[in-house]
Amino acid sequence: MARVELKDLRKNFGAVEVIKGVDLTIEDGEFCVFVGPSGCGKSTLLRMISGLEEQSSGMIEIGGRDVSRAEPSERGIAMVFQNYALYPHLTVRENIGFGLSLARRPKSEIAEKVAAVAETLQLGAYLDRKPKALSGGQRQRVAIGRAIVRDPQVFLFDEPLSNLDAALRSQMRIELTELHERLGATMIYVTHDQVEAMTMADKIVVLNGGRIEQVGPPMELYQRPATPFVAGFIGSPKMNLYNGKVAEEMGCRTYGIRPEHLALSETEGRWPGTVRHVERLGADTIVHMDAPDLGPVIARTDGSRSFAQGSTVWVTPNPEFEFRY
Amino acid sequence: MKPRQILNGGLALSASLVIFVIPFLFVLINAMKSPQEASQPDFALPERWLFWENFVTTVQTRDYALLLAYWNSTVITVGAITLLVIFGAMVGYVVQRRPSTVTRIVYMVALSGLMIPPAVVPTIWLLQSVGLFKTLNGMILIQVAYGLGFTVLLYRSFIGTIPRELDEAAIIDGAKPWQVFFKVVLPLLKPVTLTVIVVQSISIFNDFTHPLYYLPGRDNVTVQLTLYNFQSQFASQMNLLFMNILLITIPPLIVFIFFNRQIVAGMTSGAVKG
Amino acid sequence: MPAKSRISPYPYWFFLPAAAIFVVFFLVPTVASFYFSLTYWDPFEARFAGWDNYVQFFSEPYLLRGTVNTLAFAVLTSGMKTVIGLLLAVLLTSGMMGQSLLRSIVFFPVLVSTIGVGLLFQELMHPTQGAINVALAAVGIDGPGWLTNPSLALFSVALVDVWRGVGLATLIYIAGLATIGPEYYEAARIDGATRLQQFWRVTVPLIRPATTTVIILSLIGGLRLFDLIWAMTRGGPGFSSDVLASVIYKQYQAGFWGLSTAGNVILFLLIALIIAPLAWWLNRRSIDS
Repeated sequence: MARVELKDLRKNFGAVEVIKGVDLTIEDGEFCVFVGPSGCGKSTLLRMISGLEEQSSGMIEIGGRDVSRAEPSERGIAMVFQNYALYPHLTVRENIGFGLSLARRPKSEIAEKVAAVAETLQLGAYLDRKPKALSGGQRQRVAIGRAIVRDPQVFLFDEPLSNLDAALRSQMRIELTELHERLGATMIYVTHDQVEAMTMADKIVVLNGGRIEQVGPPMELYQRPATPFVAGFIGSPKMNLYNGKVAEEMGCRTYGIRPEHLALSETEGRWPGTVRHVERLGADTIVHMDAPDLGPVIARTDGSRSFAQGSTVWVTPNPEFEFRY
Repeated sequence: MKPRQILNGGLALSASLVIFVIPFLFVLINAMKSPQEASQPDFALPERWLFWENFVTTVQTRDYALLLAYWNSTVITVGAITLLVIFGAMVGYVVQRRPSTVTRIVYMVALSGLMIPPAVVPTIWLLQSVGLFKTLNGMILIQVAYGLGFTVLLYRSFIGTIPRELDEAAIIDGAKPWQVFFKVVLPLLKPVTLTVIVVQSISIFNDFTHPLYYLPGRDNVTVQLTLYNFQSQFASQMNLLFMNILLITIPPLIVFIFFNRQIVAGMTSGAVKG
Repeated sequence: MPAKSRISPYPYWFFLPAAAIFVVFFLVPTVASFYFSLTYWDPFEARFAGWDNYVQFFSEPYLLRGTVNTLAFAVLTSGMKTVIGLLLAVLLTSGMMGQSLLRSIVFFPVLVSTIGVGLLFQELMHPTQGAINVALAAVGIDGPGWLTNPSLALFSVALVDVWRGVGLATLIYIAGLATIGPEYYEAARIDGATRLQQFWRVTVPLIRPATTTVIILSLIGGLRLFDLIWAMTRGGPGFSSDVLASVIYKQYQAGFWGLSTAGNVILFLLIALIIAPLAWWLNRRSIDS
């Protein structure tokens, strides 16, 4: 059982409280993503679970055991770092087997386990190379291999794909998801990229300013965001959010409508606007407008449509998808 | 701060004090004693703190030899540093900006100066033939020759961080090579120049071996040589010997207090490349 | 229109002033030393003498002793500076109290005049009245004749040289330690490495470039050392603490200039033959990492 429970977890750096009372349960085998803007505390939270950072108060349980005071090596976790942390003076084989050799396991055991991991991640051809001679994606796989060989209850990933280029990132996303299905292990994954969160997670935890804004499966966060922050964070392009007159009209403090839920017409509609900029992406067209009643508006429509810059276009919200906070 | 860090700190601080600071305290204490008290130098505190008396006596020894020595050392240091900065920067500049076989060889030769021990007796023979033996000018040129390796090393390394585009902009504006260097690049080299000045000053000021060979005799004696020569003079006045040691330690101490950062940067960058 | 001739903005004549001084005052004597080492040369005459000087160097006990001492001294001081320097650097980057003050304290002796240091420790090491032996006597230990015992004199000077120079090694190591990212230690902690294991298996391998620098710099310095020996023992008692540099000077003072220059050449060869392969070997290993 590799369930993770956090109870009223807090962290202060001096006088600044960066984690303000987090309660969270992550079920056995779940792929849970911590997501949020820079400085929201997601990495700090991950590091506290790993034991690299000590919490100021609160409890951490892994697999039913209280590990709040345990050393990182005793928590049944393994971590994949953003910078991979591969030892440049060791080969791939030695890097993966590093922890085992520290524990003075017999050479045959180390060789066996390393071979098994190399098989899983298709690293067989690179075992005798040094990290210098590997590409970014290969290095990331070695880092994952080092984590797998520990046979942990929980895998922790700290923004592992940030250093890769876009194409590699999408490929690695798929590989990681497949790895999760194969191993069936509990995985906690930190990222600032909501696309990664949406595509990989069983459960997303949205963090803001040291607090959890919302926890739930990706589609729930998309369809039923609990707060304006979550509404604006999940979904690309971002949801249009308005306070002020429009919100008053709608009977709330903040009114939100996603770009994909705005109908565009050159002849009639709810609010008029002037087209500032049009992005034609092929499958979609994104229209950036200024509407006097609202403010800046982003609308999304089918890729076959386009509008002239400076022209007047009317937007109409789909009432089924309006959000009022 | 964790308890272990405070414990480590306390232990290390005490050990370092004993090992590294006490010898200097020893100098300080004995420099203030009377000749009788200092005849058997120890850690007993002097009855009266004779800083000023000892200071004056030391300076007056042998017709103010120490003042002359400070003057000579200063002349040598300033003269050598001036030449080192200009000539060394010129070499470092071209070596960095113009990678070619020639510049690579030049760089290797310059670096070899860091390793090869100077051939002292042939150098004396050379100095005598050009009439520079036992002269301050000769000593200056020697210090420049011996200091070029390290200086070129530092300049080359630093110039690598100045974008070539600055030179190119000046050239497009019609600047000639010497103008590009002296008007555009050299002013930007202030940080490393400061480091060179600080590090080489200390090194030249503290140099004993080379003045011993190339500046024998009374006339052009340096501070280090004076201390050495005063050993017999002060055999029965150890307090004055310690005062002399104290006086020799003060200039580098002052430089260290004010230019700590430059010294550290200079030593480590030079060392890492070398 | 004639083609514009492209003169490089980085002209070679920039080398001239420095080259003139360097060639005349450094290279020429160095080259000449090879010739002069093959001569008998004293204030009255200079005649070609073949290998005589070198033969003398390796047959006369006091000259040979100087060569052996030089090697022993260099290896000993280099080894001590390398090890102690690293340990100090680790201590001084651990976040302890008073850390930056300590770094300055440890480093300051590097900047002090060698003659000053030599004379100071000569006093401290006086067999009966020196503060060191007085302190030892206070706890009941009979302090040795640091500089008066022929078997001990060179070692005592080595200790002082390490006292003086370890600060530079520490400085270089501290700079090197700063380049090791924290994630290497964090990954090791997760793998269960003890602090000792972290030191041997993370710190030491990753600090290889700094180690190379420290070893090479301290070896060169140790092989060439003159002023500390001269200030503390003048190569004595007898010639038990003579090194090549002091032999060179003594022969010069005695008027045996050819012999002295031969000593210079031997020193040059020692440095070249030790440092060049060593540097190559150490750098080759770190390229692999």
